[in-house]
Amino acid sequence: MVYKPKKSLMTEVLSVLKKFEITTFLALCVTGIVLSPAMLFAGDNGPCIECHTKPDKLKVAEKTKIDPITAEIKVVSMLIDETTFKASAHGGEDFFCIDCHQDLDGVDLTDVHKPNLKPVDCITFCHDDPADDYLKSSHVKLMRENNKDVPTCKDCHSGLTFHYSSLGEKSPMDTPRAVDPLHRRITIESCGSCHQDYLDSYRNNAHGQVTSLGYTNTDVPVCFDCHGKHTILNSSDPESKVGKEKIIETCGSCHADANASFVKHIEHPQIKNIKYYKTLLAAAKDIRKDPENFKKVIKNPQTILCLVFIAYMGILGFTFAAFGSHCLLTWFATVRDERRRKGHTDEEQH
Amino acid sequence: MKSNINYLRFRLFHRFCHFLIIVSFFGLVLTGVPLAFKNYYWARWLYELFGGYPTAGFIHRMCALITFFAAFIHFVYLFYNIAILKKKGFFWGSNSLLIQPKDIFDIIGDLKWFLGIGKRPEFDRWIYWEKFEYLSLMWGTIVMALTGLILWFPIQFTKIIPVSVAGVIDLPSIALIIHRYEAILAAGFIFTIHFFHTHLLPEKMPVDEAIFTGRITEDEFKHERLTQYKRLESQGQLGNYKITPTSLFMSFLTRLFAVPLLITGLIMVGLMFSALLVWAI
Repeated sequence: MVYKPKKSLMTEVLSVLKKFEITTFLALCVTGIVLSPAMLFAGDNGPCIECHTKPDKLKVAEKTKIDPITAEIKVVSMLIDETTFKASAHGGEDFFCIDCHQDLDGVDLTDVHKPNLKPVDCITFCHDDPADDYLKSSHVKLMRENNKDVPTCKDCHSGLTFHYSSLGEKSPMDTPRAVDPLHRRITIESCGSCHQDYLDSYRNNAHGQVTSLGYTNTDVPVCFDCHGKHTILNSSDPESKVGKEKIIETCGSCHADANASFVKHIEHPQIKNIKYYKTLLAAAKDIRKDPENFKKVIKNPQTILCLVFIAYMGILGFTFAAFGSHCLLTWFATVRDERRRKGHTDEEQH
Repeated sequence: MKSNINYLRFRLFHRFCHFLIIVSFFGLVLTGVPLAFKNYYWARWLYELFGGYPTAGFIHRMCALITFFAAFIHFVYLFYNIAILKKKGFFWGSNSLLIQPKDIFDIIGDLKWFLGIGKRPEFDRWIYWEKFEYLSLMWGTIVMALTGLILWFPIQFTKIIPVSVAGVIDLPSIALIIHRYEAILAAGFIFTIHFFHTHLLPEKMPVDEAIFTGRITEDEFKHERLTQYKRLESQGQLGNYKITPTSLFMSFLTRLFAVPLLITGLIMVGLMFSALLVWAI
């Protein structure tokens, strides 16, 4: 039997129906009764799932994959976890495997299909807007100027579940939903893998310490909540989410009534960054040569934070050194006194 | 052998205040410290134990309200006694919790005792380190309350300061740093210095029951605070403080309440100290 995907028919029917709102509802009811539910909800993924969930099929579980750009050869697993896939961004009922893997459209799928499908093109038909924004952002511009490899879609949007083959190679699958807490947590690490200093300082702030404990629901901001997702712009850009023009709006999306003083908050405190202390010392050293620079450093709100931090380290050190030694000495002296007293009573008894 | 004569050291009001402080302090520490030690596995476990975000934060704020209440009734008590009843001796003299000249001599005497060149000095009602603990509790509560409120209501507090000042002085960030390190100071202090100075002394192990039952025996009184004992005796007031001995049940209840808390505190300080070691190494 030759399997013919029904994708084109189904989508056409649905797109026609969507034009009429009430009729759509009625028509859907009718189609629901007429067509079998299995056809509507299991969709056309059935033949794919049939093979791709069976670990005993060697070609599925262990497959050599050639990277189309680097020509690197990897051994990956092509197994699909149905529940994970359904929970992913593309796991809705109106998505079918061949929507993305388009070179399988109209192919006989009862037997083995040709290996090494084309890499999925995310941009052309579906995600052209974010890709456009991303390529225009100062993030990409700066990287191109500095001759760095610009991350592709899949570098950031790789799946949450890596499908390990028995040889340990992995293949990213199951693009997660934007609000998925695990996904949000992984994005922090993705940004941090390049911006280590910013990650460290973020961890020292109120938002970062909560996400560090593993709470990354939408009520705690991760990097992209403030800096934007695809349109990451330099703060000097008027369109930037963290620039002067838009910062009140950005903070206000969580903190209702955010005011002009509130948004001066430092999200990346440098209190544990040795480099900042070096600039402080250097400015203090050159106070006579360059008093303007010194003034600028003093007026930087980071300076007060660093001074408060250093003061507290001093208070902590002093308190525990002084009271700790006092405490230990009291202990030793009490024990010594008790021994002496016992010694006296022993002598009296003898 | 324990003597049967007992004296009242803490009245019910002070015992109640101490109880409130214990309950709220442990709640605050257990839900707050994980945030400062966020990179450690135990911190994640502890935070999750208290419901994680935002439940743990909610517990933290409720405990803060209990602390505010305890501080409030304490200051009302002080105000009532000083301004309305016109009682003397809160600022000066042997009953005062502020540092007195005698305390300086006591410190010198204690240092001599440590070195073995003198006997332990005789103390009055409040020993100098107890005064330090009381004063640092007062200071710490004010600092933690103020910075905590700024972190609780950042929008309202930043509204007060003009934009030009806010560009130099970032109130919520400063409050966060002070709140974090003052908390580490307070937790570390209570769980080591306070515990070892009062409860875990060789002669008190495991717990000094006086703050829970309010009573001390005559032997303890003479051993710890001979000056006060002699003073009261010479003034003929000693009899006024006599009280029935602690019942076995109350003593048991005290230990049942205090010992698990002592252990919890020691574990917490152990974890915090291990984090310091990891950081240093």
